[in-house]
Amino acid sequence: MTSATAHTHTIKPLATLTPSSTSRAWSSAPHPYLPILATACSDKTVRVYSLTSFTHLSTISGGHKRSIRSCAWKPGVRNESVLATGSFDASAGIWRRWEEGSGAMKEDAEPVDFTNGVKDDDEEEEDEEWRFAVVLDGHESEIKSVAWSAGGQFLATCSRDKSVWIWEEMEDDNFETIAVLQDHEGDVKCVAWHPEEELLASASYDDTIRLWREDLDDWTCVSVLNGHEATVWCVDFELVENASLVTEQLSEPQQALLDARKQAGPRLISCSDDLTIRVWKRNPKQKTEVPTGQGRMPSIFKNNSIEEDWVEEAQLPSVHDRAIYTAAWSKRTGRVVSTGSDGKIVVYQEKWRDTSNLNGNGHAASEGKGEMTGGDTAMTGAIEEDSDSPLTEWVVVAELDGAHDVFEVNHVCWVKRCDKGRRNDAEEVIVSTGDDGEVKVWTIEGS
Amino acid sequence: MDPDKDNANPTILLASDLPSRRLSNPSSTSKPRADGSTGLFDALIPSYTYLNDPFAPRSPSSSEADSDDENVFEEIDEQEVYDLISTISDPEHPLSLGSLAVVNLPDIHIDTAPTTSRNPISTVTVLVTPTITHCSLATVIGLGVRVRLEQALPPRFRVDVRIKEGTHSTGEAVNKQLGDKERVAAALENGTLMGVLRKMLATCV
Repeated sequence: MTSATAHTHTIKPLATLTPSSTSRAWSSAPHPYLPILATACSDKTVRVYSLTSFTHLSTISGGHKRSIRSCAWKPGVRNESVLATGSFDASAGIWRRWEEGSGAMKEDAEPVDFTNGVKDDDEEEEDEEWRFAVVLDGHESEIKSVAWSAGGQFLATCSRDKSVWIWEEMEDDNFETIAVLQDHEGDVKCVAWHPEEELLASASYDDTIRLWREDLDDWTCVSVLNGHEATVWCVDFELVENASLVTEQLSEPQQALLDARKQAGPRLISCSDDLTIRVWKRNPKQKTEVPTGQGRMPSIFKNNSIEEDWVEEAQLPSVHDRAIYTAAWSKRTGRVVSTGSDGKIVVYQEKWRDTSNLNGNGHAASEGKGEMTGGDTAMTGAIEEDSDSPLTEWVVVAELDGAHDVFEVNHVCWVKRCDKGRRNDAEEVIVSTGDDGEVKVWTIEGS
Repeated sequence: MDPDKDNANPTILLASDLPSRRLSNPSSTSKPRADGSTGLFDALIPSYTYLNDPFAPRSPSSSEADSDDENVFEEIDEQEVYDLISTISDPEHPLSLGSLAVVNLPDIHIDTAPTTSRNPISTVTVLVTPTITHCSLATVIGLGVRVRLEQALPPRFRVDVRIKEGTHSTGEAVNKQLGDKERVAAALENGTLMGVLRKMLATCV
């Protein structure tokens, strides 16, 4: 299906991971270094698929009594795979599997059979022995999302009980709750960690996004992002300096913008029931200045506070006509992919705005409000915030209707392409997960 | 009368006064399916059969009140949706939602996606009128309607159940819950709640 009219690229089907689940699939997570993918399913299992052959490898089952809503691989682990699962049964699970050759299972680790003897006999006895290592109890109702911090030190879980829990692994299989954060006024739908700092973002049914950080042994809310007019379903941090913006001939304001972004750190993206996808950026703190951002400040205002000033930078072009469940920021290209109830997959990219309608020396119309010529990067506000014409804009580069036929698509993510057909080492595919139980892989053509 | 019930004296409509297909607009082109079934049981057929059905081109006529341009393989109009939900039992009274006027035919709308889209998604919007403005069971009733339609209609239908504006003190809060897919899915895994819903849906055809 091509939309020859507007878009520069098309989304083409590459594979459907088979055999698929027969019940709703909620979300998928690619392994940090192996070419495999885990999918959280409502039949209380996690299905593990190969991204080279696109086939089902194993099923992780027996640990949860209700749908598994979310799963995440622990980063930075060698010699084993560690998977966290979050379930509607209000518990999170930690699963482990050794990756180095067969027979490397720990002798003293008695695999506990949580299946009451009804093991999944379909799978062959390969090296696919998943051990249910720990159950993390504490939440009072369904867990919606689990996420590991960038280094793998912390695990965050969030729930309909309005709280976010942070867990730290003390030693093997011993997790301690180090924070229970209850500031949200509604279900917490998603948690996501900053790629570099120990900063956690949470998205909520109360229409807000909150950011959390550790301050003298206490985790606390450091910013509240208001703006969305309905439930926020998902948040994701940027990682890469936007590849499409780093071109050769950058003008001074353009370079200054990139420098400012580097100083402020990765931005945050969010998507919502209000049909918008919003980009948020941090205004780096001045040493003497008190943050006075648009975000509602937490009630306890400490001196020398660690509160942060995050503001809405942009809204992506409107394409979805029903709730948007997931927005994901590519770590390689800076593109964003989104999906939702309308069954569409949409890809967006940030570009330099055409400056032909600016005045001669390339400065935005309302020059004089910000420091535009590099040099002293005193950021009292981002460059484009004060000007009428932002330097960048988001455009839709590809759009696909009916990705999972008539079914809703719950999750979408960027995955490094691992199969034989990949064109280069940096190629990414899109993996979508839908109500039809299917997990599909897509390429973007036209670049 | 039971003083513990939210609404001990509801207004009850006679079954013969409720809208039914016989009395509906005779211009509706109700095309019977080839095998004689009415479409009500399509939920029992594995959804993948829809993938094989040829999608005949749609006539671009649609006005909102007339959804009968679905002359392909499914004939689902507002009356059929009403028939699906009017027989749901009220959780409090041994009466149906139709006879209590909790669901009404004029409060059901079907929007079909624009014909240019490859995706034949249709949205059914049902406005529910609780019997009294502070009915504590409004969420359960709305959930019953949503579950019934999600189970009975083909997957290309999106179901939006809302409390009719002005009929409930916390209507917006209830609507937000009913519109949250995750919450609805989790509710269906809740044993107690499912027990109540099963009782409500037991009187459906």
